Amino acid sequence: MAIKQPTDKSHFLLPDLGEGVAEAELISWKVQAGDDVAEHQTLAEMETDKALVEVPSPWSGKIKELHGNKGDIIDVGSVLVSYGSGSAATDNAGKSSDDESSGQEEDAGTVVGNVSGELTMPASFSREAAPSVASGSKSLATPAVRRIAKELDIDINVVNGSGRGGRVTASDIQAHATAGSSPAPVASRPVAAPTAPAAAVPATVAPEPDTAAPMPLAATRVAIAPEGTVEKIPFQGIRRKIAQSLHHSVQTTVHFTVVDEADITRLDQKRSGFESLLGNRLSLLPFIMTAVCAALKKHPSLNANVDDFMEEIHIKGPVNLGCAVDTDHGLMVPVIHGAQDLTFVQMSERVRELAGACRNRSVPRESLAGGTFTISNVGSAGGMFATPIINYPEVAILAVGRAKETVLTRNGAFYAGLVLPLSLSCDHRVVDGAEGARFLNTLVGLLEAPETLLPEV
Amino acid sequence: MPVSSVFETTIERLSILEPDGTFDESLGKNLIPDQDLVDLYRHMMVCRQFDVIAFKLQRSGRMGTYPENRGQEATSLGAAYALQQSDWLVTCYRENAGLFWRGLPMEKILLHWMGDERGNHIDPDLHITPLAIPIGTQMLHAVGLAWADKYRDEKSISCTFFGDGATSEGDFHEAMNFAANLDIPTIFFCQNNGWAISVPTKIQCSAPTVAQRALAYGMRTIQVDGNDIFAVVKAVRDAAEVARTESRPSFIEATTYRLGDHTTADDARRYRDADEVSKWEKQDPMIRIRMYLEKRDLWNENKQNEMQAEAEKLISEVVKRAEEIVDPVCNDMFDSMYASMSDNLKAQRSTLRTSSLGQNPSQLPLKDKAHA
Repeated sequence: MAIKQPTDKSHFLLPDLGEGVAEAELISWKVQAGDDVAEHQTLAEMETDKALVEVPSPWSGKIKELHGNKGDIIDVGSVLVSYGSGSAATDNAGKSSDDESSGQEEDAGTVVGNVSGELTMPASFSREAAPSVASGSKSLATPAVRRIAKELDIDINVVNGSGRGGRVTASDIQAHATAGSSPAPVASRPVAAPTAPAAAVPATVAPEPDTAAPMPLAATRVAIAPEGTVEKIPFQGIRRKIAQSLHHSVQTTVHFTVVDEADITRLDQKRSGFESLLGNRLSLLPFIMTAVCAALKKHPSLNANVDDFMEEIHIKGPVNLGCAVDTDHGLMVPVIHGAQDLTFVQMSERVRELAGACRNRSVPRESLAGGTFTISNVGSAGGMFATPIINYPEVAILAVGRAKETVLTRNGAFYAGLVLPLSLSCDHRVVDGAEGARFLNTLVGLLEAPETLLPEV
Repeated sequence: MPVSSVFETTIERLSILEPDGTFDESLGKNLIPDQDLVDLYRHMMVCRQFDVIAFKLQRSGRMGTYPENRGQEATSLGAAYALQQSDWLVTCYRENAGLFWRGLPMEKILLHWMGDERGNHIDPDLHITPLAIPIGTQMLHAVGLAWADKYRDEKSISCTFFGDGATSEGDFHEAMNFAANLDIPTIFFCQNNGWAISVPTKIQCSAPTVAQRALAYGMRTIQVDGNDIFAVVKAVRDAAEVARTESRPSFIEATTYRLGDHTTADDARRYRDADEVSKWEKQDPMIRIRMYLEKRDLWNENKQNEMQAEAEKLISEVVKRAEEIVDPVCNDMFDSMYASMSDNLKAQRSTLRTSSLGQNPSQLPLKDKAHA
């Protein structure tokens, strides 16, 4: 994406820092307002999906204003730095809230840059030459604040700014929204996606289809008493991606959960048998995954994706089995593609490999996408039953609790056995309660009769 | 019939000026006159400054992608120095030092990476082909150029540059096979920097040297220390001699290292160890030349500082020339592909503004994208 800088050198627009990069996270400023900078002097450190880079000044001059704070995601083409010694009140810079309706063509990542200069003038600058008459003066705000306004459907130019130089802040927008002086914000309306996947975060909970971008976290502001807060953590990075994906799943799908228990006494004996045979530790998870693949073969409607945009249910042949992994940086769901063809030994190796890759963040992007069913092994942390949230656009997810030795009965007699709690959430739009229960019955049956599932030791 | 050996050989490695400054007098004496070596070193300083500024131009949005040359200057520069002006330099994209030595105006390279076709408009007398971005294609062009010159009895030869990764491509095989079987005077100059972007050489070449790939074609071959300009000059001169007198091709594997990222769109820290990089930083081709020159009283700190200031001034003028040129027009991209434009390109060019826009969903305004 080629960005044409204003010829008067009054503003520096964030350029494409790599090849086809649409946005970058501001890591730190290396200069401050009022500084005289030289050409090529580093202005800021920013992180794209590909690299941590230093952004140098394209010319020498005096910094009037820095746009954006540490941690902000800044769109390519937004104003990063204003130059000059004039007062900030005359600064009309920044992407205005209706950029996307202006019909500006976006040049999607060429290899060598701008060949056709005329097509890529950013809309904010072409418009600046002809100031808007209808709304009077334009408001001042950072791109992040403008984005919040846009997401809430608020015309930023009618919001009173309380910040420096009349700048509109995030709180102003929220106050404006709560005061109801604009059309009521529709919190569930999905906003237009950014022009490219938010790639600064290499690992997401689930891939986001272009047509179903997750909604913003901000809706209306709930007053939180400032007393007692010991730390404020920006809702960012992987945490934010997790929040967006889960929020979107809950907003879109209709969850119901069925629970059951499987007597895995014999399965566990098999597991120990294989363990001593193979000479390394084996968890129950690969056995459960093998059983899930077999059960999905019998109940294919649970091995599916929903395309809500096209209003289609895609029943899948191969089982691409997601496996929720708890990492230091948050929840990740690597996918084992073609899991139905793997033996439990192969499954066990794949799980170990992918979990390791998630923990050191080297997991390839394609291994985080394309899932058709997910298993969440919550039992490794503890707990019995759960109400797991579906990894949208999948239609079902299984939470596996912690196996516990307990007293069971058979033919009127007591015996001690190992019991595994299972919780299955389905999207009721696709899977009815009876089908969910039938799937769980099949799964329990397979786990309780491991000889049907596994080779002899 | 007992088993007998039908072919035996060894791969030679040539090194004259070693990283610690050790100099092989028997091989290196009179190879490069003192004044020439000073000029070559000054030239490398200019190239390095060019690299620093080109990188910053990309980061501040003034230029598109750029591949840093840092660390590999001795290879193409040594070759360009050893060859004649009438010999073809058929490069890929990390040979600025050789191209500038030959006489390519520096702003041409900036224009190229700014996406301006005029960067590829090169004075034919320089005998330089435009940068080849697709990997390996230029090796065939080099063979064709030398073949054509041989056919016309023009005595010039060609020297083509490529990386270790390119030797795993089909084009490499075809170029090598043609050159060897038809006795084409082409020098195949492989800059083995250990990495094909993020793929280490050992993953895509199971032979211990790239040089031995040439043996399969019956081509003379050698490995040289690519960060040793003396070794590069000697190897290229020897190869040029064979090309001119016997009309035979040669293969040179120059081991080197790019100290920067593959391009500005890459972050090499993701796949290379810091230890490996710092090991190679010590083998920087410029360090050893400077050491050699200072030992012989041909260079000192003062000269270094003066030259650095001169390089900075020179490069800022180059940038100015590249940026002050009037903006390119869309039609440029059609005009340089063929000697005479095909009908479909003519049609595309004339309808560029009207029909082509909107056909590609990625060019639609955002609000319409969902319905495309």
